[in-house]
Amino acid sequence: MNHAEIVVKVNELMHRGFEIPEDKLTPTATLFDELGLDSLDAVDMLVHLEENLGIKVDAQKLVAVRTLQDIYDMVESLAPQSQAQGQLSH
Amino acid sequence: MKVLITGMGAVSSLGVGVGTMFKSLLEDTSAIRHYPEWAQYQGLGTHLGAPVPEYDISRVPRAARRTMSRMSEMAVVATGEALQMADLNIGNHVNSPRVLICMGSTTGSPSTMETYFKKLFERGGPEGQLGTNFFKVMNHSVAANVASALGFRGPVMSPSSACATSAQAMIMGWELIQSGMYDIVIAGGADELHYTSAAVFDIVQAASRGYNDRPQQASRPFDQARDGLVVSEGAGVVILESEKSAQNRGARSYAEFLGGSYFCDGTHMSQSNASAMCEVMNTSLDRARIQASAVEYINAHATGTIQGDAEEAKAIGEVFGNRVPVSSLKGHFGHSLAACGAIEAISSIKMMEEGVLIPTRNLSSVDPSCSQVLHVQEKRSTRPKVVLSNNFAFGGMNTSLLLSLP
Repeated sequence: MNHAEIVVKVNELMHRGFEIPEDKLTPTATLFDELGLDSLDAVDMLVHLEENLGIKVDAQKLVAVRTLQDIYDMVESLAPQSQAQGQLSH
Repeated sequence: MKVLITGMGAVSSLGVGVGTMFKSLLEDTSAIRHYPEWAQYQGLGTHLGAPVPEYDISRVPRAARRTMSRMSEMAVVATGEALQMADLNIGNHVNSPRVLICMGSTTGSPSTMETYFKKLFERGGPEGQLGTNFFKVMNHSVAANVASALGFRGPVMSPSSACATSAQAMIMGWELIQSGMYDIVIAGGADELHYTSAAVFDIVQAASRGYNDRPQQASRPFDQARDGLVVSEGAGVVILESEKSAQNRGARSYAEFLGGSYFCDGTHMSQSNASAMCEVMNTSLDRARIQASAVEYINAHATGTIQGDAEEAKAIGEVFGNRVPVSSLKGHFGHSLAACGAIEAISSIKMMEEGVLIPTRNLSSVDPSCSQVLHVQEKRSTRPKVVLSNNFAFGGMNTSLLLSLP
């Protein structure tokens, strides 16, 4: 997956999984303050990322994640070992 | 102290909303359908269920909705209808210690439990589990999710007594208002349709297996050809309110909750027991300060099982003789488990309001073992002033409650 594909996949997941309007999905948007997620959502987001993008995320890494760009970067750092697996399955 | 019902809400297999539901009852509709896909489950003989039609939960914010299984969603919709009918703005009571939410379910969400354990066993541990799943399977999921959806910060309790749950919740609400502890109790119950719920009854030979090819004829309370119950789903909620509170608000009353009781028979987990049923009906009459002769209609629990229906008919015959009209609504709705107590109480109130008794659907030929009572086999125009509604449950839980027009 290249960066553009990751952005599309993550944004699709955030829109469908958490009902965030697409126009709010900008790289600098903060997950908790601007996109309205909380710690419970973060756990589910982790599961969705793993199942839909075929990656394995160390939960500790989420602590440093603040913005959507941080998610893109985290996925990009993990994606080379795996492949995207299609549709959101939550 | 009089306890009134100032609001009612129903999400049922016969429709969403009290009006739609009662219209379907008047039209003698059966909600039961065939589930051919259940044939894949080894050993499951019943392939029948009565699902709730589509409902709209979209107005509830995602943050509240994410922890809701189907049963909680239905409870939220039913509670919304009840509050609206009661003209009760829960926002005004959001921190009130005088308002109680009292509702439950048989178990947590069976569909979520299936998903959770399937993944757990596949992966050999909790890896990959959604954080929101637990809130769908915890025992007080329905009550907690309703409170969350309303932004309610007052007292919440969650009785659970399987098929008697919402009846017990209402009776507890009546007791607590009578005691002076609360002014308003939002009481009810909900359950969702799932093949594992049907399996519970199928395993103990209490589910219908002989009508898989004729779903509309399945669930035949008191009938000679009955062969068991059909599992349904739904939510029923009532607003119980002290007379004083209703008067202060200028609220309309739809019925008076005269009283009731919930007893465990203490003898058997699954076999019905006529003497225990008699005891709960007699105690309920005493607590409501009503003579048996004042009761003009009985809404039976009768689910269409061989033994349960016969025991209930015997018990009703012993307490009331054969002069009081009796019908069961399980032939229309199927058996909505934790929801049926409230749904049937609401249906009984509508019968009083509309001046009509709904007959037992599929009761073509009364079984001799059920012949002790006066069965309603055709729609009857009469306006009962006092009705008694029974609900019985696994675990030996027996409930009986009495209602009248205000």
